[in-house]
Amino acid sequence: MDTMSDLPLGLRDPVHDAQAAFRAALRALSRPGEPVSYPISGPPVAGLMPATAALLLALTDHETPVWWNHDGPLRWLRFHTGAPAVTEPGQALFGVVRAGGAAAPLTQFNPGTDAQPERSATVLIELPALCGGSAVQWSGPGLREPVVRRLAGLPAGFWRQWSNNHGLFPGGVDVLFTCGHDIVGLPRTTRAIEREDC
Amino acid sequence: MTMHGQIELAPDGSAEYPGVRQAWLALLARADIEELDQAFSRLAPPPRYEFLRPPESGMVMLRARIGGTGDPFHLGEASVTRCSVRIHGGHTGTGYVLGRQRRKAELVALFDALLMEPDNRSDLERSLLRPLRERLRDERAAGAQSSGTTKVEFFTMVRGD
Repeated sequence: MDTMSDLPLGLRDPVHDAQAAFRAALRALSRPGEPVSYPISGPPVAGLMPATAALLLALTDHETPVWWNHDGPLRWLRFHTGAPAVTEPGQALFGVVRAGGAAAPLTQFNPGTDAQPERSATVLIELPALCGGSAVQWSGPGLREPVVRRLAGLPAGFWRQWSNNHGLFPGGVDVLFTCGHDIVGLPRTTRAIEREDC
Repeated sequence: MTMHGQIELAPDGSAEYPGVRQAWLALLARADIEELDQAFSRLAPPPRYEFLRPPESGMVMLRARIGGTGDPFHLGEASVTRCSVRIHGGHTGTGYVLGRQRRKAELVALFDALLMEPDNRSDLERSLLRPLRERLRDERAAGAQSSGTTKVEFFTMVRGD
């Protein structure tokens, strides 16, 4: 049977679109909390937000195992980048967490080692909205002043796991939140404090 | 999946779909780009298709087996171009060809997709695959003939003691 007839397309312009996605990820991680828009409307991928799809196409290859918290478009990614899917978060270099789905605790992802912190995983988390959630104060490199962010729809217990992750420095995972075309970076260097008062 | 029609695509006469597809892909990969282009220009109406994977060139490691023990060894690298296309409302085809001819990889992928539609097979078999198969067979026969004159027969002499 021809099983590839429903496979979504990849990036329209592989070089420049991947560069744009990489640029967006770089900016998002260097300016934590500031939404960065991935400006290109690529072919839609069922079950993935445009920014998530673009980041996966730009960042993964056959040496970057991907863990999905849902029945993601595995064949699509496998075809376009060759990235294998793994069932254990600890084996993955990228995690994809869909909005509302059950998420693996951040502690299950590979935090790298003190000698090789760059071997840690990057977790892409899709959110229903970038505002409207409970207030959290972000501070750290890339932020001149602490800022308050109200990301909505985070997995339960996320910020507790995050302070744990922050303590693993120089190890620890980095998080890229996506919502539609927007990307918000949360690098391991960012300290987050839940705020009741604002 | 079984074959439709009476066309003889697999060299061993098998009707198994993967083997059949393998056979036509092997034929198409050996075609000249002119042969493919001519066959393409004869398609009416020209098929509308999109790239699932635009033509891209890369390298593959060629492996061979050495005589005697038959152990595999790396012969060397070769450049290969691959491409995947999807016909609008139809099948998806893939082409892998030796060399860097992007258009050739595209055409092989397109004909692969067309050949997966049983209604197209007898036309393409007549206009493209059969002439191609006959040309390759003739060239092979001519090569075998010219090298056959240099063949040396070795006889084992039995010692009579």
